Amino acid sequence: MSQDPYELDVRPHLRGGSDPFQAIMNAVDSLAPGQALKLIATFRPVPLFSVMAGRGFTHQDRPLDNGDWEVLFSPEGEVEEIRLSAGETDLDTWPDPSRQLDLTELDPPEPMVRILATAEKMAEGEVLFALLAREPLFLYPELAKRGHKWAGNFDTAGETYRILIRIGGRRSHVGA
Amino acid sequence: MFAATLSRWTMSYFAAALIFLVLGETMMVLGFGYPVLALEAPETLALVHVVVLGWLSLLMTGALLQFVPVLVGQPLSLPSVALPALLFLIGGIATLTLGFVGLSGAIDLPVTLLPLGAAFSIVGFSVLGFSFSVTLWHARPLPLPARFVAVGLATLFGTMLLGGVYAGVLSGLIEAAGAIDLTVDGLSLHASLGLCGWLSFTTMGVSYRLLTMFMLSPDKERTSSRLVFVLGVLCLGLLAAAVPVILVGTVGRSPLFLLAVGSGAAVVAIYVGDILRIYRERRRKAIELNSRASIGAFVSLVAAAMLFVALLSAGRLDEAIGAVIYLATFGWLTGMGLAQLYKIVPFMTWLECYGPALGRMPTPRVQDLVSETSALRWFRLFYLTVAVGTLALLIGSALLFRFASLGQLIAVNALILEFVRTRRLINVPAELRLPDGLVRPGLFLPSIPHGGSHEPRSL
Repeated sequence: MSQDPYELDVRPHLRGGSDPFQAIMNAVDSLAPGQALKLIATFRPVPLFSVMAGRGFTHQDRPLDNGDWEVLFSPEGEVEEIRLSAGETDLDTWPDPSRQLDLTELDPPEPMVRILATAEKMAEGEVLFALLAREPLFLYPELAKRGHKWAGNFDTAGETYRILIRIGGRRSHVGA
Repeated sequence: MFAATLSRWTMSYFAAALIFLVLGETMMVLGFGYPVLALEAPETLALVHVVVLGWLSLLMTGALLQFVPVLVGQPLSLPSVALPALLFLIGGIATLTLGFVGLSGAIDLPVTLLPLGAAFSIVGFSVLGFSFSVTLWHARPLPLPARFVAVGLATLFGTMLLGGVYAGVLSGLIEAAGAIDLTVDGLSLHASLGLCGWLSFTTMGVSYRLLTMFMLSPDKERTSSRLVFVLGVLCLGLLAAAVPVILVGTVGRSPLFLLAVGSGAAVVAIYVGDILRIYRERRRKAIELNSRASIGAFVSLVAAAMLFVALLSAGRLDEAIGAVIYLATFGWLTGMGLAQLYKIVPFMTWLECYGPALGRMPTPRVQDLVSETSALRWFRLFYLTVAVGTLALLIGSALLFRFASLGQLIAVNALILEFVRTRRLINVPAELRLPDGLVRPGLFLPSIPHGGSHEPRSL
């Protein structure tokens, strides 16, 4: 999935007194889907940051030893639609996860069993973060019945499902 | 918000389907219909509809009630049609079968049973098809497996319309010349649309999703799978194009037919390549019995396709088409159906029974609900009898065929007993079977929860 960034050194342009803007845009146009662009310039190209942001790239910049700058422009992946539990779900008010589970290697339905078992041990209001290989469609009704809230989506590669679960009050029990 | 809930009536569809399968196997053991009688005999048509509508189509619709929502991540639209549709279908298929028996003259029955049974079946499939179609419509753009299902549903509709015309003609209700032409010339069309389109194409689509899910294989949409879809649509479209060709009465059906065969053969080849890759790239090392038993189905599919092409090029298709249809219907579709039931039944039973208790008390694993060693024997016997039955049809030995069918009847009944043991939680260690507060699921009817642990959300 991950491809090496395309490397473009515009220092010769700048030293030669020409504007490298067109060369940069041509390089951006020729990038493969998901590919990043590594730009090397003689200064920190601040004006370019907003131009690239407009084209869907985030940037990380660092100074090089000789005073030049290296900037990595990475494409923002298409953000998968986030699935939310019913009712009011304001993720900004959720605390950081207090437990994390990597369940990507487990056979279904074992991830569901692990999540529900872990959730039983957590206190109301705590958040559990879990990674899964599949969207846990059959887990949602059990979470809902137990009063938990959740939010989840696939990562940009579409390979790992990430879910945040906030533990609700204990209002439902077996046979209740 | 979407969550996949258990489909309430799926288990009832499965139970009805399995009863029709036992009935069909019994008819074959008794020598009712082909190969004792002709392929076109009314007795054979009775047998074919018991197997293809009663067993395979009820199985497929019951499975789709559960899996269409999972495929598209949307709840089923109009879920309340499931029970009335099931009653229409059971009544319709039974009546249709009696209609064919009446047509054979074996018993004196009113000829109107045929169109009546057809009408009931059409109503049953149509309301289900409508519910599935609306669900798919709301879920656009569809993932690839769901597109297979959409095309499968379209061919189901075409197959039904043709079947309705035949029922009308055979019972004397319809006298239009075009309808009679279609009945005389288009019977193979009805059969191939039903078997290749509705049953096989839908099975292929669902299998892409189910196999990757069960074996933890990468399930990204691949170009080869899209090619299977495009070529499959081409093949089915060519078959359907034969209808206007017959009605207009022009010649030129053979190029259409050959093109359809070519694309159909390519579909099978590329599809089987995809399936091999799914098995090879699985992350789950141990293959469970359902995936193991499916291998026999894929082998049968390839064998049936090769047999078909070989017979066609040898110019002997007419005399041996029965063997090809048998191999596809029993080896591929029935084998696949039984193998997947071996996973779906325990999973649904496990979730229904233990879902409320998960994480709160020790619960059995899904695998604790089955006993693979005993079931493996019966799957082996099943595929052995399919091979012997196909051979018997090829060499024209009705006696050997009935003998093979007897073995198959035993294997099928033994597998049904395994499903019953799973539903009854008999394989589960006693100390884990029913912890406090849990209720054993009904054998094949939905339990009515009392303030319950599971919500009747989808009735």
